[in-house]
Amino acid sequence: MLKVDGLTVRADSVELVHDVSFAIGPGERVGLIGESGSGKSLTALSLMGLLPEGVAASGMARLGDRDLVGVPESRIKELRGRKMSMVFQEPMTALNPLMRVGAQVAEVMTLHGKPRHEARARAVELLERVRLPEPAQIARAYPHQLSGGQRQRVMLAIALANEPGLLICDEPTTALDVTVQKQMLELIAEVAPALLFITHDLAVVASVCERVLVMYGGRVVESGPIREVFTRPRHRYTEGLLAASKLTPRGTRLPAISGSVPPAGRFPGGCVFRNRCPQATPACETAPELTGDAHAFACWHPAD
Amino acid sequence: MPSHAGTPLIEARGLTRVYHRPRTSLTKPGHDVLALREVSLTVHRGERYGIVGESGSGKSTLLRLLCGLDRATSGSILFDGREITGLPERRLRFLRENLQIVFQDPMSSLDPRMRVRDLVAEPLVALGLPVGGRVAELLEAVGLSAEAAERYPHQFSGGQRQRIAIARALAPRPQVLVADEPVSALDVSVRGQILNLLADLVDELGLTLVFVSHDLSVVRHVCETVAVMSAGEIVENGPVDDVWAAPAHPYTRALLEAVPTLEGLF
Amino acid sequence: MRGRMNAGLLVGGVLVGIVVLAALVSFFWTPHDPTLVDAARKLREPGGGYLLGADKFGRDTFSQLMVGARTTLYVGIVAVGIAAVIGTPLGMAAGMTPRGWLSELIMRVNDLVFAFPALLLAVMLGAVYGAGTLTAMIAIGVATVPAFARVARAATLQVMVTDYVLAARAAGRRRPAIAFRHVLPNIGSVLIVQASVSFAIAILAEAALSFLGFGTRPPTPSWGRMLQESQELLFSTPRLALWPGLAIALAVLGFNLLGDGLRDFLDPKLRRIRAEG
Repeated sequence: MLKVDGLTVRADSVELVHDVSFAIGPGERVGLIGESGSGKSLTALSLMGLLPEGVAASGMARLGDRDLVGVPESRIKELRGRKMSMVFQEPMTALNPLMRVGAQVAEVMTLHGKPRHEARARAVELLERVRLPEPAQIARAYPHQLSGGQRQRVMLAIALANEPGLLICDEPTTALDVTVQKQMLELIAEVAPALLFITHDLAVVASVCERVLVMYGGRVVESGPIREVFTRPRHRYTEGLLAASKLTPRGTRLPAISGSVPPAGRFPGGCVFRNRCPQATPACETAPELTGDAHAFACWHPAD
Repeated sequence: MPSHAGTPLIEARGLTRVYHRPRTSLTKPGHDVLALREVSLTVHRGERYGIVGESGSGKSTLLRLLCGLDRATSGSILFDGREITGLPERRLRFLRENLQIVFQDPMSSLDPRMRVRDLVAEPLVALGLPVGGRVAELLEAVGLSAEAAERYPHQFSGGQRQRIAIARALAPRPQVLVADEPVSALDVSVRGQILNLLADLVDELGLTLVFVSHDLSVVRHVCETVAVMSAGEIVENGPVDDVWAAPAHPYTRALLEAVPTLEGLF
Repeated sequence: MRGRMNAGLLVGGVLVGIVVLAALVSFFWTPHDPTLVDAARKLREPGGGYLLGADKFGRDTFSQLMVGARTTLYVGIVAVGIAAVIGTPLGMAAGMTPRGWLSELIMRVNDLVFAFPALLLAVMLGAVYGAGTLTAMIAIGVATVPAFARVARAATLQVMVTDYVLAARAAGRRRPAIAFRHVLPNIGSVLIVQASVSFAIAILAEAALSFLGFGTRPPTPSWGRMLQESQELLFSTPRLALWPGLAIALAVLGFNLLGDGLRDFLDPKLRRIRAEG
């Protein structure tokens, strides 16, 4: 389905994503976890050909038999919204405030050649599929008349309109309330054909995905089946992040990783985590390779 | 109510806040939004009081009223026995000296054009208190080096900026620290640092903490008492462990079920 | 983190720099006395110490342009100064009390002044108090006040809803302190941009007024009056109109480019995008 090999993203001389490789099979749901500055969103944007100006990707990424990196923008445009589509964090700014919701869903289909009346009817079906109540009415509403959760469902309907093979979600529930988030996550897990799910929230990714990639400092530091990575993390960063995500009882110290995430381009050479890692030794000045088959990690001093 | 050695420090009674929305259409009049409806709560001295709610629950409105940053439509707030509702800014000095706030997003709550020194000293200058060596002392207390004083907020990471905001809040030696979602804009790996720092400071300085969050599990870690808000009302309150173990209100139950957790997943 | 220089800022800066330099140098040195009338040099062709030739009174065009730059800047500075000093506090006051009567009053009076044509105001003032550089500057300045007030108000409204103003209030800051410590520094960049654009408009207005005879009085050289005096010779000696015209156009272009360039340069949002790569 999707195959990424040696994807590197640069802005001027700064490397923001380094040598990222992974694959997503049909029907597979893969999570991409990272904090701010990890390069997780840039990875997704480079697959969609939506990198901001001055930022360029190199390496190999292929969706089916179509190249996504190193080809002209126009070639990716035909794929966008048809073979793959993306749902963003902020549902308010992603919708046109002056256009009825139904028309916006229909538009992505007419853009790719569906007759207008067919697209309109199908738009209502899609709104029903993302479990919006009274889809025919919602189709006539404007975005500002909907709640945040409803708008995000509309975004999902737009993303699914052309039956894409791959759905990319970038923090789709971060702006939503927790009670709304839960339903949205269930819905995404149910309707996504193949899924790349980007988030900073470990608990969220655990409820949606089967496999996970952990990114830090623009590199994949660990990857594998989610159950294994989360119960038996090998990379020290994953270990620290998991510990920090659990809230211990009141009156106890919360585990935290020391220091803070460096700004882009200021990560240390060698292992990118070594300046915050409690286990770091001089060996870590050499960059560790991502090794292992199903469960891979890039660490000189892995946890057991 | 929990048995508390402390006496009531903040007592809110029947707080209601109505916002008048201006008309958006020539034919229809503007409508009123009831953001807060008859809310009452008591925070005791030394207590760690959590307020949980989602967007639109009224928790931000309540917070602004408690901090004297907005006027209630009706109701009263006693701070240490003194009424604060309806007082003009110049008569709120006792509140400003004794109650300080840490906001959610440390990027936007620190004026980008001020140096850390001036940011941290701001409450002191505003209240006419001596600055002296207090800035360096405060920076050290929150785990920042003294050189930080000469730099600008954008030169720091999110977690460090939140430390600066905490230092500013502690400057006038307040009795009450109000924290409005202080960790929800931060990376998970530094969240623990900030929560630990808050807990330490509250202990060392004997502060009363009012902690607002959308996340009941964070409140459970930090606070003893919790009030759950929904649609402008407190739907449930009490000791946080009781509310956690046996939520009485359907909304609290829904909230608890919805929070994704790692515990018990595998 | 510094913003990157852009082409507009550079070109604008160079053009404005040339005008400023010419004005400064003219205080100490000009090739000839710009006001010296000499029938012998009447309509002298360029060359031989007269770089751009001489006008119908035999005055050296290049020297007149140099001293004219002085008038241009003088008018711009005073007019923009008046507008900024009156308009900024009014706009800030309106922005800090968005629903009060004061805000309504300021903005409605503002609309009134805004609706009144600047040149008409200048002509009227000129008729009442006598035409002159000062009258023209005051008229242009007053007419530019609403532009500043509006920009200041809009920027103030944005600053007033930020968390750092809320934090300052919570820290115990009163309104005047918030205005000076938080609002003014944060709307400064917007005001600088407005100033450079207004400067360009002021230059144009002064030239127009001088052309109409309501601006700078003879013998003080002014680009607008140079244009007017060259009017009758437009077809026989077009260069007399060309040079002051070009000077006005380039100066206006320079200030406009500078304004646009500064807007990009000072915009913290654009800057952050660059910083994050």
